[in-house]
Parts: sequence; structure tokens; C-alpha cells
Amino acid sequence: MGSDDHRLLQREGVLFFGNVIAGLSHELSNVFNIINEMAGLQQDIVGGAQPGSTDTADRLFELAGRIKAQVERGETYNRYLHKLAHSVDDTGIAFDLGETLELVSSLAARPARLARVELVMQPPEQPVTLEGDPFAFVLMIYGSIGAVLSAADSERRVEVGAAAHDQAVRITITSADSLPADVIDESAAALRIGRAAWGMVHTLDRRPDAHDSVILDLPVVAPGPHATADDEGQEDPDVT
Amino acid sequence: MSPDHVLVVDDERDFVEILAERLRSRGLEVTCATSGREAISAVEEQIFDAVLLDLAMPDLDGLETLRRLHEIQPDLQVMILSGRATVKTAVEAIRRGATDIFEKPTDVETLVERIRSARATRIAHEDDMAEEHIDEILKRRGW
Repeated sequence: MGSDDHRLLQREGVLFFGNVIAGLSHELSNVFNIINEMAGLQQDIVGGAQPGSTDTADRLFELAGRIKAQVERGETYNRYLHKLAHSVDDTGIAFDLGETLELVSSLAARPARLARVELVMQPPEQPVTLEGDPFAFVLMIYGSIGAVLSAADSERRVEVGAAAHDQAVRITITSADSLPADVIDESAAALRIGRAAWGMVHTLDRRPDAHDSVILDLPVVAPGPHATADDEGQEDPDVT
Repeated sequence: MSPDHVLVVDDERDFVEILAERLRSRGLEVTCATSGREAISAVEEQIFDAVLLDLAMPDLDGLETLRRLHEIQPDLQVMILSGRATVKTAVEAIRRGATDIFEKPTDVETLVERIRSARATRIAHEDDMAEEHIDEILKRRGW
């Protein structure tokens, strides 16, 4: 990866971390607030209960179950944070495509919910191992999903799918709405990182049936550091 | 006298349900909404003494919901109940007519106290409006 691309990765990486951590922090706050109200309700119930009431015991038992569900929800967010934090540990490692896509779609779940878009991830049918920089991969997919989410109408569906063929992987982000031609510009930085770190080639597939897709094709084994436009001294046509 | 009627608006269903139960156990009548649009429908159909409104919600955010609620009922007492009420959003909410801002977690007794005081404010406002209306009629008829 050339030095310009590396700087772009660092800058976009910081923005991405800020964005994702703000969202997860908000979700964790929601969990704490719900648990706080449930604890308050338990106090209310115990304070006003008749001694030996079975109704009270049943209600407390039911609330304990709901508290556990919230703790599990919080644990899930914490797991995402943990995985995300460790995605920058190594730049040249083998990692599972399906697991990483699941992480990205989980991180994008909140922006999707706020945009009132249903985000669905279809994992690859067979396990696929990628080798390269997992953080650059996460950034590339998250940025591309974000651009499609911004373009999608509310109450619609965006589907992320992945399929491996020969020595390549195709990731498809499909919107139930038609996508504007400039949707690619919205994710220019993410796509440039994808090209530089992964040798990724992108296409906007627009169809008359209005199920348009952003398609990302990348080799299963990431290219070496000499495969980027920057390194070859070429202007990147898609980045303004 | 009917109980104080409050509308609780938050996209976290568990939060709304539990807070509603706690407010009901303190003698309030509570209606729940899990989106800005549901809140608008509720205010179009019912009279509320106060609205407890979350800021971060899908579809309409809290500030836009606040604006639309006041279009329907300009004197509606709307209190913001937010996880992360920044100074900027707090100022904007007050500018748009919110009467109070609470940061979660909030003490339920404080909320009840403010809701009851909102009812008193609403009734006083209605009394003022009625008085003005009567004065206007009296002037018009030259009495």
C-alpha cells in the first residue's frame, strides 16, 4: 500500500472507529438504562409486595429473565468492540470471510436501524479464508454498506451477500431501491482502500427491476504492496 | 379528578414498558410510543399532560418529533429524556419548546414530580386562554 493510501486508511480508520464506538456506546447506554429501570421496578415490587406472595415471586423471576437478556445484549456489543479493536493487530493474516462480514453487518445494524432500513447479511455458503489486512477489509465493506444505506429509501431492505468462485470473492450489496450513479462517490475512500489493500475492483450494477447492487470483486489472497495505483504513480480516476 | 396522563416515547420497547409500569404504579395514566410517528398519532387522538421524549430514534428524531407535536398542540409540555443530551441538542430542544431535559438514568420520583407540575402548568395555561376568550367576548359585546 502506498503512503497516500496508508494515510487515507489511517484517517478513514479513525473516523470509522469514532463512528462505530459512538454507536456502540449509545447501545450500551440503552442496555444500562433498561437494567436500571428493571432494578427500580424490582424495588417497587418488593417494596409494595404482600409477604409470601407468589405473584411477586413470579414477577421478579420474569424480570430477572429480562435483565439477563439485556446483559447478553450488552455482552454482544462488548464482543463487537473486542473484535474491532483486534482487527488492527495484524495486516497480513488469514481470517474468515463469513465471520468478518457478520461483524461488519452487526456494526452497521445501528446506522441501518436509524435509517429504517432492514440490513440482511447472507454469509457465503462455504467457509472462505481471506489473507491480508482485516481492518482494511472491514473499512471497505462498512463504507460501501454506509453509502448504499444513505441512498436507500426508509423501510426498505439492503442485502449483503458473498460468494467465492475460482480464486476470487464477490461481495454484493443490493438495495431494494434503485441506486444513484453517484453512490460510488459516497464510498470513494472505502473503495480506494479496498483497491489499495485488496486489489478490489468495484462495479455498480444497475437494473431495470430497481434491485441495484454495488459489487466488490477481490482475490482470495490479497495482492502485495506493489499492486496499487499509487505505487505505480498513476492517478486514481475514481477519487476526486 | 382524572389521573395525570403522560406519553412516553422511546424506541427501546423494554425501556418504555418498564418505565410506564413504574409511572402507573405511582398513579399516572401512561401511553407508550416506540417511534416519533406513533407519538404524533397519539397526540392527534388524545390529550396529554406531558410527553417524555427520547432524542435518538429511527424515522423521526426527537427534535423533529418535538416540532411536529407542537404543530398539533402548541402548549404541549414536552420533556426530553435522553441518554446523551449534549449542550447543543439541549439548547436546540429548549429553543423548540421543550420544557425540561433529563439525562438517563433519571430518578422516577423526579419525573413524577415534573409530570404533575406540567399538568398544573397546562391547566393554568388553559385557564388563561379561557379568561382571554371570555374577555374578548365581553369586549365584543360591549359589556
